Amino acid sequence: MNLDELSRTSGEWLRGDGPESDIVMCSRIRLARNLADFPFSGRASKGEKADVERAVRTTIDRAGLRLTYYSLMDVDQLDRQMLVERQLISRELAAGDGPRGVAIGHEENASIMVNEEDHLRIQVMHSGFSLGDVWERINRLDDDLEERLGYAFSPQLGYLTACPTNVGTGIRVGVLLHLPALVHTKQIEKVFRALHKINLTVRGLYGEGTQADGDFYQISNQQTLGKSERELIRNLSEVVPQILSYERQARKEMINQRRQVLHDQVSRAYGLLKTAQTISSSETMLLLSSVRLGINLGLIDDLEIPTVNELFIHTQPAHLQKLHGSPLEVDERNIARAAFLRRRLANGKSTGPEVEE
Amino acid sequence: MDSRVMKCERCGREATVHLSERVDEARHEAHLCGKCARRAGIEAPEAPGTPLLESLVDQLITRHVGELVGELSRTSCSLCGVTFMEFRVDGQLGCPHDYEAFAKGLPPLLWKAHGATRHVGKVPRHAGLRPVGTGLKTRSELRKAIALEDYEQAARLRDRLRQEEDHAS
Repeated sequence: MNLDELSRTSGEWLRGDGPESDIVMCSRIRLARNLADFPFSGRASKGEKADVERAVRTTIDRAGLRLTYYSLMDVDQLDRQMLVERQLISRELAAGDGPRGVAIGHEENASIMVNEEDHLRIQVMHSGFSLGDVWERINRLDDDLEERLGYAFSPQLGYLTACPTNVGTGIRVGVLLHLPALVHTKQIEKVFRALHKINLTVRGLYGEGTQADGDFYQISNQQTLGKSERELIRNLSEVVPQILSYERQARKEMINQRRQVLHDQVSRAYGLLKTAQTISSSETMLLLSSVRLGINLGLIDDLEIPTVNELFIHTQPAHLQKLHGSPLEVDERNIARAAFLRRRLANGKSTGPEVEE
Repeated sequence: MDSRVMKCERCGREATVHLSERVDEARHEAHLCGKCARRAGIEAPEAPGTPLLESLVDQLITRHVGELVGELSRTSCSLCGVTFMEFRVDGQLGCPHDYEAFAKGLPPLLWKAHGATRHVGKVPRHAGLRPVGTGLKTRSELRKAIALEDYEQAARLRDRLRQEEDHAS
């Protein structure tokens, strides 16, 4: 599949099914791995990075892993940004230099970044709250790679990583949560403080240091050394249901106490998205968040969750430009975004991404 | 005496040395006069005009972490060349061997980040089949050979690397 086709589809993780998918958009695990025979990416020469890339590509082929490799040297800036928007690569990999790339699996459930901060950053995501399945899958993938790649591993310190904050298991276990009611009722800060106390990190949709967009928050572990993968997964799995119950409680209160106001707010958001002639990315995220909440509370009944999930990604700048087929300035993008939204929301139930006017 | 003036905790004279440190969540403060501070092992300079704070900071650093930092700051990895100080500045290690090269400096940092210093969890099935660092060492020699423009040696090392890689896969 080439990247143009990719931009018109969407990953399985946006499908909106799986357990607790009204709040848990997806579950994700990533593993940081390095090859024992090479300096870490930040210190590796161009030639060494090319060797790492070659070793990984050969392994993917020989192990028969169904992944397609894209060398980022051959991918232009717009496509790189699109991959960031789809959560398949990091901003750092997109902005980096030298031989580097990403292998992407069928349905975008799995991806392997090559020559990011670590030689390999393996990622698996599934829609809904399903960390157990995600672990099974990524563990197998890691085993397959390890058959042929000599990982840097020490019995005492575990998997050796470029930054000691990832050493040990090299694992980051995360869930992407949609928490509009906790944001609305201003309880979200309290939740964050509680999470920080038990060593969990909170980030926005687009990674470290970015503001949470569309009321989406990624919650993940910080500790990687001294606890096993299963323990770390269990820790997070025990905390998530509590956050879900807070969010559900807040939703219940909103609907019990001010149903009319909420219904009005949600309907207006939906109306704006269906009729606006020019709209920014951040306003879109805000309104989509309201609409997503509205669907989950039964206030909107002619639109489906997967469509809304997709719109969060497909209205991002690079996706719009890919769909449009040429680069667009901010003002032009806002017009194109509004047109795209009007088209996609004209009939909420039957809009496939490929349905164009 | 002005009531706002801090008094020495030990003798009640005017305190001229003020120390504070944070242990976990609690902040500890100490206020001492020059004489009691010297007795406590903190040498505040008597001579007027000496930048008191700077010299105190220097002394405190030396007292608590000085030797370690001094020794470590000169430590570098024999394979990738990264020094401990470079690592402390940008947070990134140079190669897997750094974990051995900086074995003295890393544990406190690991403890701070993870509350642990030993791995628990997955072990790769093939771990230990091949000593870590073999290829790294050859690569480090290769870099040196290229820097010295010793291309014959470089070619030999490239061959060796290729053999090692074939052997590994």
